[in-house]
Amino acid sequence: MAVATRGTSSNYLQRAPSPSGLADVLDVILDKGLVIDAYVRVSVIGIEVLTIDARIVIASVDTYLRFAEAVNRLDLAASQPAGIDELRGGSSKREETRGAIEGAKEKLTPGRSSTKEGSRSS
Amino acid sequence: MTVSQEQPPDHAPSTTATYVYGVVRSGSIASVSTDGVSGTPVAILDGDGVAALVSDLPTAELRVRRNDLRRHLDVIEEAFRATTILPCRFGTLLDSRDSVRENLLAASRDQLLTGLTQLDGRVQLNVKATYDQELLLRGIVAESPEIAQLREATRTLGDAAYAEQLRLGELVAAAVAEQRDDDAARILDGLSHQADDVAIEEPSPEAALKASFLVARTRLEAFDKALEDSASAEQPKLRFDVIGPLPPTAFASAVVEA
Repeated sequence: MAVATRGTSSNYLQRAPSPSGLADVLDVILDKGLVIDAYVRVSVIGIEVLTIDARIVIASVDTYLRFAEAVNRLDLAASQPAGIDELRGGSSKREETRGAIEGAKEKLTPGRSSTKEGSRSS
Repeated sequence: MTVSQEQPPDHAPSTTATYVYGVVRSGSIASVSTDGVSGTPVAILDGDGVAALVSDLPTAELRVRRNDLRRHLDVIEEAFRATTILPCRFGTLLDSRDSVRENLLAASRDQLLTGLTQLDGRVQLNVKATYDQELLLRGIVAESPEIAQLREATRTLGDAAYAEQLRLGELVAAAVAEQRDDDAARILDGLSHQADDVAIEEPSPEAALKASFLVARTRLEAFDKALEDSASAEQPKLRFDVIGPLPPTAFASAVVEA
């Protein structure tokens, strides 16, 4: 297969054995894995802060306007990159994870899943 | 912690909860050297045929830090290098070691063994295909006369063209969504036949596809070849990032009724 001269393998396919950044770690462990649904379960650690900005639904007026802005900024003649960060807008990565485990003996509350939905605008 | 302490007794005091990392087969791993959540040592609790990787957490300080996310994964990865592991969700806590033995290992023994068998010899690969956003948007403007026209209009009118801005953004968003669907389907098509299972996630706006693949170790090379082919065919518009082989966290999502 002919590959463009500038296209070495590392340019378009990056391999890593294990996640390095926080977002990639979250991808592997958040909401993934065996769930023990027992009355003896103490609680799931509060992870609402960790939902970050991974899932932004393209459905809001705000997002439309950002798309328009990004497209407008495109200089079709020259190449002035329009940063994806502008599309993501106000989302910010939380460096510190500060969820607290709810009191012992508390049953798992539905709050965990509602935080996920909370990141989607309706 | 500077003073070395004895392992807490099995009948741990009520001030300690038991954090569970995952379940392995009895005898499949002798010890885990990685520190667990909150820097505590990881112990292996043996049951009948199945064993749990656990550590004690003082209930007085049940607060997660960023490091703990990594530690949770590090423990699972260490076990994964040695044997098949059924990973638990981050933040799984039971109230004591006895509870882990009785309510998890004994009560769900058969289900856990079945789950382990399903993951034997398999690894997870997380694949993300991300757009070069400028190339993506240029392509969209080039393909749609309506978008190109609106773009000119809004550039000229500036803030006065609120309705046009909105319409332009809406059209671009729709075009991006359509493009993503097409691209994702094509990429999945190229990779799925080398995998036993796929878990697809909603990708972020700049990505076409975000998915975890469950791949047999014996087919890792073939999967990697398919990846290389797909990534090569999709460049320069898309860049692929692949992480793994990982413990199959995305494929251990069963709920154990203890």
